Amino acid sequence: MSKILGIDLGTTNSAMAIVEVGQPRILENKEGMRTTPSVAAIGKNGERYVGVTAKRQAVTNPKDTIFSAKRLIGRRFSDTEVQHDKKLLPYEIKEGPNNGIDIKMADKWYRPAEISAMVLQKLKNDAEDRLGEKITEAIITVPAYFDDAQRKATKDAGEIAGLNVKRVINEPTAAALAYGLDKKKDEKIVVYDFGGGTFDISVLEIGDDTIEVKSTGGDTHLGGDDIDQKIISYFVEEFKKESGVDIAKDQLALQRLKDAAEKAKHELSSTLQTEVNVPFLTADTSGAKHFNISFSRAKLEELVGDLINKSIELTKKTVDESGFKLSDINEVVMVGGQTRMPLIVEGVKKLFGKEPHKDINPDEVVALGAAIQGGIMQGEIRDVLLLDVTPLSLGIETLGGVLTKMIEKNTTVPTSKTQTFSTAADNQPAVEIHVLQGERAMAHDNKTLGKFILDGIPPAPRGVPQVEVSFDIDANGILNVKAKDKATNKEQSVRIEGSSGLTDEEKKRMTADAEKFAAEDVKKKEAVEIKNLGETLIYTTEKMVKENGAPDAPAGAGKIKEEDKEELKVKSEKLKEELKGDNLEEIKKATEELSKAAQRVGGELYKQSPPSPGATAGEAGEPKQEPQPNPENEIPEEDPHK
Amino acid sequence: MAEEQNQNITNNSEELDRCQQEREEYLNNWKKERADFLNYKKDEVKRLEEFVRFANEAVILEVIEVIDDLERATKEVKNEGLDQVLKKFQDLLKRYGVERIEVKDAFDPLLHEAVTTEILAPEQSTVRGTAQNESENVGEKEEKLEEVRAGYTMHGQVIRPTRIKIIK
Repeated sequence: MSKILGIDLGTTNSAMAIVEVGQPRILENKEGMRTTPSVAAIGKNGERYVGVTAKRQAVTNPKDTIFSAKRLIGRRFSDTEVQHDKKLLPYEIKEGPNNGIDIKMADKWYRPAEISAMVLQKLKNDAEDRLGEKITEAIITVPAYFDDAQRKATKDAGEIAGLNVKRVINEPTAAALAYGLDKKKDEKIVVYDFGGGTFDISVLEIGDDTIEVKSTGGDTHLGGDDIDQKIISYFVEEFKKESGVDIAKDQLALQRLKDAAEKAKHELSSTLQTEVNVPFLTADTSGAKHFNISFSRAKLEELVGDLINKSIELTKKTVDESGFKLSDINEVVMVGGQTRMPLIVEGVKKLFGKEPHKDINPDEVVALGAAIQGGIMQGEIRDVLLLDVTPLSLGIETLGGVLTKMIEKNTTVPTSKTQTFSTAADNQPAVEIHVLQGERAMAHDNKTLGKFILDGIPPAPRGVPQVEVSFDIDANGILNVKAKDKATNKEQSVRIEGSSGLTDEEKKRMTADAEKFAAEDVKKKEAVEIKNLGETLIYTTEKMVKENGAPDAPAGAGKIKEEDKEELKVKSEKLKEELKGDNLEEIKKATEELSKAAQRVGGELYKQSPPSPGATAGEAGEPKQEPQPNPENEIPEEDPHK
Repeated sequence: MAEEQNQNITNNSEELDRCQQEREEYLNNWKKERADFLNYKKDEVKRLEEFVRFANEAVILEVIEVIDDLERATKEVKNEGLDQVLKKFQDLLKRYGVERIEVKDAFDPLLHEAVTTEILAPEQSTVRGTAQNESENVGEKEEKLEEVRAGYTMHGQVIRPTRIKIIK
């Protein structure tokens, strides 16, 4: 069964997506771009160009480059909008059969649907190239205000392109689908779509099986391009003030300012201030002129505030027309690249008193929704197979009271994870497995889900025993934690039901706490790590002295000089003393001093040790590799906070 | 008694049919899910390879903008040191599979982007066509391309088209 292609056939740009493993994914076009300009052209050489190539040659071939065909599709030539657009379009249009529209491209007349078909055909071909399989079916989106004729013409365009159009769906409906809002019965949704050249607002109501459009509004000639134009005009004015040169008619300089304006606009969505730096913008008799200004978000908002206010007023009007009050609206969805602008998000948030949905890329959300519609029709997206995720991380307590995460939050279940731990002290006979849930760094700040003890571990130095801990969550959210001593195969386990059965309040509180205390937790964890490191170093140093300095040291072991032994002892004592307190700087200093001394002594020992039997002639022997203590992987015998 | 047994057999047989159907459905869904996952993994490997190949693209594009300015500067101020810095940048691009697009005679939208057209006065322009085909090309002027911003390819794919001024 071939995949159904979800297509957002836009006025300026189009995008396509498919459903893969139950999830929608945007498909890139042949040029590697995630959106494709909705432009078709016949070049001077008679060759047909569609997409970015058509756009690139538009300046040199304006009469035979057709863009915004969506403004004409399915309309009558006598429509007021068509007559208005006719004055703005550089290509020729005339009245066609049945009061329709004909567009002239390279001496031939086309219906708008034929132009849209060229764009759709490119998308189809590029998708086939990407996927390596034939695409025969599609879902195409249209604005909610499109009438029957416009929908029919869009469907025709798909069919001309060789696609069986399974359904033509509304763009706001697709956006709502992408956010899964179709499942929220009886909700009222506003979709705020601020695109490159058009602004659409739609009010939807979710019924039992339907999404009904209650009202639509907007401005077909308001978009991100207007915002860019305001910024460019401001830059031109500023440059004139600064240098005295007017570049309003210099196409090449304007193009560079346009690039700078777009870049500054994008940057100001995440920062408050940006530097606009365009060196060698132009030249006059006095030499080269450069453009360099500091451009703030406040200035940008001052420049375009009227456009945004206009969109907010139109939104209010459209909600009024739907018969709902602003307070009736349950969800707001943002569509279109321009909605990344913080001023827009704030305006919409203030109007409805709620945070709008803006997590999905606003340029892609409609195509993703169209793909989801295809997925539902094909049975690719099955409601019965909704898989849960772990709301919070799960893990166990390790040395120093630290939470070592085994399963990260938002992991899809069923899932399992196994990790090997060890003991935190020599001859430790048991480990306590303290199962925890939460995002905080320290074990005691998280929720205890269960505890059990695995005993009977044979006596061995710290870090040697291997305790395999496994976490297993089944599809019903039941967590099984098992610990097994690999030497004896002895095991213990605990079964925790409802590990994800936290109330929404609890989840929110725990996640908020993790954010609130993040900095503090990092400090606490760092303190534990510094202390653990100090303790581990004392342990390994004493072990080294014992094995290499004692009269009964094993044969072949090196010999530590008495003065070195004394130095290591003094430095170890000093570190032990510091570890009793909480002065981290002093602990670090004492650790470093002991570490330097131990490294020097260790280095001398290596020089003394004879080559190992397996080593080839001339190769220095390697000391036997024993497991080294690693505090993050060590489980103490019991909880120190008990 | 026999009737009751027959009824039980019928019930059990229906139950068995239902279970078999359900089993078939679950098995098929599971197989499909596995197949989807394996295919997804294969696609993901391909996507990752592509991603790695073009992972530096965004940084390269930013570097290219600095190179643009440096090129403008070297045209304004003749300085050997500046030329060497520029050459170092160009060599760096080559090491990452980035090549400058050569501007040849004809405009090609696969490689070029037209930003403006300049029409020269008739005496400045040349007229294409020989005596034999003049009738076909009456008045059609020969186009000249002027690079206004360099274009680049990365591993053979256009990452930035050359911006062109067309002079007619």
